[in-house]
Amino acid sequence: MKKWTWILAVVLLLSSSLAGCSSSGDKKASSSSSNGNTKGVKQEITVNAMSEPPSLDPALATDTTSGWIIDHTFEGLYTKDKDGKPVEGVAKDVQTSADGKTYTFTIKDDAKWSDGSPVTAKDFEFEWKRVLNPQTGSAFAFYLYYIKGAEEYNKGKGPVENVGITAKDDKTLVVELTNPLGYFKELLTMWTFYPVKKELVEGNKNWAANTDGYVSNGPFKLTEWKHDSQVVAEKNENYWGNKDVSLNKITWKMVNDATTYYQMYKTNELDLIQTLPSDVVAQEKSNKEFKNTPYFGTYMYMFNVKKEPFTNAKIRRAFAMAIDREAITKNVTKAGETPAYAFVPPGVKTKDGDFRKDGGKMIKEDPKEAKKLLEEGMAEEGWKELPQVTLLYNTLESNKKISEAVQEMIKKNLGVNIKLANQEWKTYLDTTKQHNFQMARMGWIGVLLDPAVILDYYLGDSPNNRTQWVNPKYDSLIAQAKAEQDPAKHFQLEHEAEKILMEDLPFMPVYHYTNTYLTSSKFNGVVYPMNRYPNLKWTKKVSD
Amino acid sequence: MYIVKRVLTMFLTLWVIITLTFVIMKCIPGDPFASDADVLPKEVLQNMRAKYNLDKPLPVQYVLYMKNLATFDMGPSIKSETRSVNSIIADGIPASSRLGLQALVIALFFGLLLGIVAALNHNKPLDFAAMLFAIIGISIPSFILAPLLIKYFAVNWHLLPVASWGTWQHTVLPSIALAASPLAVIARFMRSSMLEVMNQNYIKTANAKGLSTMQLVIKHGIRNAILPVITFIGPLFVVLITGTFVIEKIFAIPGLGKYFVDSIFNRDYPVIMGTTIFFSTILVFTLFLIDISYRLIDPRIKLTSGGN
Repeated sequence: MKKWTWILAVVLLLSSSLAGCSSSGDKKASSSSSNGNTKGVKQEITVNAMSEPPSLDPALATDTTSGWIIDHTFEGLYTKDKDGKPVEGVAKDVQTSADGKTYTFTIKDDAKWSDGSPVTAKDFEFEWKRVLNPQTGSAFAFYLYYIKGAEEYNKGKGPVENVGITAKDDKTLVVELTNPLGYFKELLTMWTFYPVKKELVEGNKNWAANTDGYVSNGPFKLTEWKHDSQVVAEKNENYWGNKDVSLNKITWKMVNDATTYYQMYKTNELDLIQTLPSDVVAQEKSNKEFKNTPYFGTYMYMFNVKKEPFTNAKIRRAFAMAIDREAITKNVTKAGETPAYAFVPPGVKTKDGDFRKDGGKMIKEDPKEAKKLLEEGMAEEGWKELPQVTLLYNTLESNKKISEAVQEMIKKNLGVNIKLANQEWKTYLDTTKQHNFQMARMGWIGVLLDPAVILDYYLGDSPNNRTQWVNPKYDSLIAQAKAEQDPAKHFQLEHEAEKILMEDLPFMPVYHYTNTYLTSSKFNGVVYPMNRYPNLKWTKKVSD
Repeated sequence: MYIVKRVLTMFLTLWVIITLTFVIMKCIPGDPFASDADVLPKEVLQNMRAKYNLDKPLPVQYVLYMKNLATFDMGPSIKSETRSVNSIIADGIPASSRLGLQALVIALFFGLLLGIVAALNHNKPLDFAAMLFAIIGISIPSFILAPLLIKYFAVNWHLLPVASWGTWQHTVLPSIALAASPLAVIARFMRSSMLEVMNQNYIKTANAKGLSTMQLVIKHGIRNAILPVITFIGPLFVVLITGTFVIEKIFAIPGLGKYFVDSIFNRDYPVIMGTTIFFSTILVFTLFLIDISYRLIDPRIKLTSGGN
């Protein structure tokens, strides 16, 4: 079946730089009338969602594309302000019990659905229980496991009556947690915690399939969804905070090809694009419309600690110390990534600054020391020669370039020849899940801005932990950190946990992600969160 | 009698295709629900697998699928949770077929024209020019041609939009990019076929009878030379109207093309089946129509099952 399209697809990916055809400075006319008078300027923006959102139902969405649109059409009890701090959204007020386990939320009187009816506590209760209902099959249901009885209900081991979510009346929602949770408010800003209109969703399982039955409570309401082409949202006049919203219309186009959306930006068919084609980043860097923001995630290589030679901690450390991360980000990836010397990326604000800065670098790059560690490790195991190492990655041009650089560095600094192998994504997931690898690429992005969300990845019982590394002390430190209400102590426990991880090194971090944007200078007030796509709630068009 | 037999073979062919695809598809390693954020509890995963009948043994899955297929229900997509395979095809086919038809018209018109002109000017400069053009058309792949068209017509000269879908202007560049390669192939086919026909004795006879060149070419030349081209445009028509991955991706066309490829990467089993069935049904049916049309164009081929 259409075998040639496959081949073409692969060739296309490989030759994207060739097809780029560096379009030289054909700059559009600069905006002249920016004297604050924005009357008559059509408040509309066209952005790029890149692909069809798999689901616009907050209970079912698991990807950033769907989340991007849902974040604009819905609002939770808590929402993010311009600085990324959780602030009251639908909630007017919250009361926490002394033990930190019971939250009583009062809902704003003017919180309304886009059809004008009030948002009630019953809508929240209904939706959260729908997320947890095993029949719904929500992949993000586990985010609600902090709520009492939630995990049991979701796993079919407990009744819905035992779930600690109760609407006491139309305006009061009581939520009981199993343990106190330091970042519960942050958690509530996730789309899985958004409400849906009970009367509507109860009667229609496919309510989110098109715009007809789509009622939401956020700054915008969905007005058009042309599959694989575009989604349009318009200002929701019933939104309680609509005086802060300037835009009348957001259009998400679905343009997947990087060169194409870059050219659409250049011809004003798009006003904002993200993830620029890698071959134009260098030339756009000096453009004032260019923006490079950290993205809350880490690119890494996992070590299988039960497969030789990575059974030996010294050999793992030797590998981690033998590569030059600065060179990789500067010469290979080239989109402004930051070298990673630990797991938690920068971006978590603490009292004195940033969690990453406080923790500092936890790997020292030192080829000589690395070589010494390798020899020591081999002596410990009694190896004359290091067992052959194969580095596995999922098929993608950028992964290939990075692993080739790593291969070269390991050869130069350790004198070890490693092999490279690649597999198509789903096959790759299968292989790594069955632990059929020695060293394999992976990336992890935190949905919430808390170190625990990142560190969770290597918990002993985490299904994501493919390294077979288990450390009970690490697990218990993270559990303690989550329950800790005092922010300083909370971060302290996370620092301790990260230290253990970075001593054992069941993985080696390579770099922390960034995202690149071009935003037309006709707009201001675009907010670029650390782990979501740009928020347009406060965006205003200042000139035509 | 021939037609009845032909129709039966058609269904048999389809059944073989469906069954083979079903088996091969299940042999690919990987799981539709696998992702790098592996967070589904076992219990929820079981529920989801049950929703798509993936928890049942393969033969049962097959029977269930065939049962649904008999009522033209190809099931829900796994990746796009709220969409059915039927609606994915229904949503994608208008854009794909419009592009395909436009490309086919362009390819046929210019391809035939080029081929005929080349043949009538055999070994003259016009012939060489036409064939050079055809060679370029065949050897430049669409993923090079498409960005080139965008660069000049959209970015540099601002004549047409870069990409996306909506107005007729959006269809111009992708239609041209899509038409280029079949256009070249048609031109070469037509040229060689035309050259052969023009050397036949009946052409010489017609010429001797004093027919004008125009009448000669249209009545006797083209009508006889076009047969091999028709053989070629059948499958071409099907390929073009069901959407093409590369062109649709570059021009952000809301068509069906990408589902042929993406469904396999996503292990979206119902969509893999749906696109395959859709494609092969149209292909088999078109081939059938072409068989019939031969017999209308060329009276020497009779509508009987004799001979083969």
